[in-house]
Amino acid sequence: MSAAGARLRLVSVSKRFVRAQQGVAAVDDVSLTVEPGELVTLLGPSGCGKTTTLRMVAGFEQPDSGRVLIDEQDVTGLMVYRRSIGFVFQNYALFPHLTVFENVAYGLRVKRLAEATVREKVGRVLALVGLPGYERRFPNQLSGGEQQRVAVARAVVVEPRLLLFDEPLSNLDAKLRVQMREELSRLQRQLAITTIYVTHDQEEAMAISDRIAVMHAGRVAQVGTAHELYRAPRSVFVAQFIGRVNLLPARVLRAEGGRADVLLWGREITLAAADGCETGRTISVVLRPESVGLLSEGAAPPGREIVTPGVVRARTFLGEKVEYSVEVGGVLLQAVSYDPLRHGLVEIGARVQVCCDPASLRPLTDR
Amino acid sequence: MSPAPAEAGATRAALRDPVLAPAVLLLWAAVALFVLYPITRLLLLAFWDGGPTLGAVRELVSSWQHRRALWNSLLLAALVGTTGTALGFAFALLAVRANLPRWVGGALDTIILLPLISPPFTAAIALIFALGPKGLISYHIFGIAALNIYGLGGTWLSETLTYFPIAYLTLKGVLANIDPNLEDSGFSLGARRWRVFRTVTVPLAAPGLANSFLLLSAASLADFATPLILGGTRFPVLPTQAFLQITGLYDMRGGAALSFLLLVPALAVFVAQRWWTERRSVVTVTGKAGAATAVKILSPGAVGLLGLVCAMTVLLVLTFYLLIVAASLVRALGADNSLSAAHYAHVFGGGLKAIRDTLVIAAVCMPVGGLFAVVLGFVVARTSFPGRRALEFAAMINYALPGTIVGIGYLVAFNDPPLALTGTAFILVVCYVFRYSLAGTRATTALLAQIDPSIEEASASLGARRDVTFRRVVLPLIRPALLAGMTVLFIRAMTAISATIFLVSLSWSLVTVRILEGITNLELGQASAFSVLVILLVYAAVLLASLVMRRLNAGSLGQAGSLLGG
Repeated sequence: MSAAGARLRLVSVSKRFVRAQQGVAAVDDVSLTVEPGELVTLLGPSGCGKTTTLRMVAGFEQPDSGRVLIDEQDVTGLMVYRRSIGFVFQNYALFPHLTVFENVAYGLRVKRLAEATVREKVGRVLALVGLPGYERRFPNQLSGGEQQRVAVARAVVVEPRLLLFDEPLSNLDAKLRVQMREELSRLQRQLAITTIYVTHDQEEAMAISDRIAVMHAGRVAQVGTAHELYRAPRSVFVAQFIGRVNLLPARVLRAEGGRADVLLWGREITLAAADGCETGRTISVVLRPESVGLLSEGAAPPGREIVTPGVVRARTFLGEKVEYSVEVGGVLLQAVSYDPLRHGLVEIGARVQVCCDPASLRPLTDR
Repeated sequence: MSPAPAEAGATRAALRDPVLAPAVLLLWAAVALFVLYPITRLLLLAFWDGGPTLGAVRELVSSWQHRRALWNSLLLAALVGTTGTALGFAFALLAVRANLPRWVGGALDTIILLPLISPPFTAAIALIFALGPKGLISYHIFGIAALNIYGLGGTWLSETLTYFPIAYLTLKGVLANIDPNLEDSGFSLGARRWRVFRTVTVPLAAPGLANSFLLLSAASLADFATPLILGGTRFPVLPTQAFLQITGLYDMRGGAALSFLLLVPALAVFVAQRWWTERRSVVTVTGKAGAATAVKILSPGAVGLLGLVCAMTVLLVLTFYLLIVAASLVRALGADNSLSAAHYAHVFGGGLKAIRDTLVIAAVCMPVGGLFAVVLGFVVARTSFPGRRALEFAAMINYALPGTIVGIGYLVAFNDPPLALTGTAFILVVCYVFRYSLAGTRATTALLAQIDPSIEEASASLGARRDVTFRRVVLPLIRPALLAGMTVLFIRAMTAISATIFLVSLSWSLVTVRILEGITNLELGQASAFSVLVILLVYAAVLLASLVMRRLNAGSLGQAGSLLGG
């Protein structure tokens, strides 16, 4: 049961929905390529167009413009049922009047496969998702996680060219969600089916994806691996959506040859420049809370770290970590310190030195 | 994220769909031929004579008899709407708010269902037996000979008893949806029972009351059978006048014009009723029902009073039906009370053909109309194509119109070649399918509203075309709606007369027409025997349907019953 993965290409796909006289762009000029066997997540807040994009890939919605290509075959005008896709719905959408076996067998029966083949394939896929022996149950006799597995089994048994997931884990409780996403990830790798996965949960996206396409207001804001997006977000939106972030204002002193010298906390530091780093402009610099260090007054900062004075204004103890709000120059800065049992706690109101390694900073220029 | 579908894109998709487009075309063709065409022919006949003309209507309005008929129809509708709603409200209060033992409620439902599924003349015949010139109750018990039930009084009483179950079923639903906690909060604020009833219960039930009034008025406006028997010449109403104009005077044009006189108030009531129904949903949204508190809105005295009213009504209804049964079993009820099987011998002798015809037509109507109903419901609820709303509306016209209008329209449209269809079984089936499928369509849309569209999308994603999805996924899921739709069609095919009286022939007759003949020939015993047979057949069908429905695990007799209201 290994379908050769297909390459999916979206070319300038747009779709507008008309709501009460005001045109709302649901999907605006989205282009994306998903390589064979790859799992790409569409990540974004609700209303960003990720589900609409997925439904256009499936054929449930028609794009107003642009093209959808599967293995370079233009399927834009093709009806859903001729696209050879597997779709896993948020609510699973199992056929309530059919048993688990008949649910999974449905797509095979539509293809009019021989009964023996149907039995063999259904048996194999149920074993694959860990549900052997469930054949004769009905969907309402299954737990949420079991329904989820049946939905996945039903989608993959037809050996689709593409596997599409629409927020498949959002109806499960937190613990099951982590377990299921690991199983989905394992299954996808095993079957090597090209997959698009829609979620609004950044942790889920980071855990499961080969690459993530962050969507914002109908557009793809940035595509990259989880590491790339976290380390080098290209916009304020991406920086804020993936993980937590401090945005520090810094003035560009010189910009040339892909490097920029900026003034931060009264020190001149050199950063890998982003587009738009023009001399004299004030840009935002990304500083992740866990990259912020707090030192007591008078202590010497390690190595080449830069420092600035601050006052601790709030503290939240969370066991494995402590979160601090530190006032620096009238602005609150988020800082996280791990393993507080070893490093101890800083008191609220304490005067501290805030420090960071310039290597952990990334410039943003979009706002 | 559930974006509203973009009309243009959806339309494109619909037109490309190899299954949807032909299905929609077929539905439109059928509706155009069997709904729009006859109505248009009727309009032309009444208002076109070499050019637009109001001549026929002017002629009618100048006739004193016809003006009276219009006035009588409106008066009767208002009276029946009022008394029927009051009676139905009494029953509903008792059923929902009086903590009756379960079996009492069940028995009540069963008895109240009787008038809804009876052939149209039952109450009228029984009224003649009970209160007529030699009535068992009026003459033999009270010795009153002068009582005249022919006219407004008799028609009003008979229609009230025939149609109050519609009010009961409507208001029962409304009352059951009013959270008793709302009444409890009234009590907690220091109000007494009567005050809470006046200030909480009645205002919340008001849209339901209005809705029920309109439903009953519409039923009364359209009722043909009762005034035909009990109205007589003293109390002409529009449907009977139109019928007599055509069958008595062979004046097709006058009949058409009369039926249009009826159309105006009927449409007004229908539109008002739709408007109320859409408003009602606002009222019933009271969130999650609270804990089942002991209901206290009715004082023991009030329960007693309501109980008395309802018990007397039930007694009257039961007496009526016993009289019908008795009349079918004796030589001539009231005159010669000796047991006789003669009436049933007639029913199963000369009447056998009508019974067979009716059953054949009902048997054909059920699958054809049932399928039409669910396909229409599905297409309207789940697809998007140009003119969807118009199709939904057009398909409802024959249901909304009084049967007399539909019957005359069919008579005008299908009497001559190339569409000489009157008198065939085909036209009878068509008439029932387009007149009584709405229950099935509504049940379908209601059921589909509870089924997530992603289930159908799942089927499509697995390679199933729309017709395959419909057959393998949708149809099994909406079986209860199909069943309800088919049950209603069977009942209507067994009991309707107002439209089909214009369409029967020697080769295809109906039981209801034989009942009418029995009455006009003063063979009330035969008419009773036919009625008893129809009631038994229909009851058996409803019982069977509710057993199957229970197996489908979706609803009960009450639910099926509420679909019979139309």
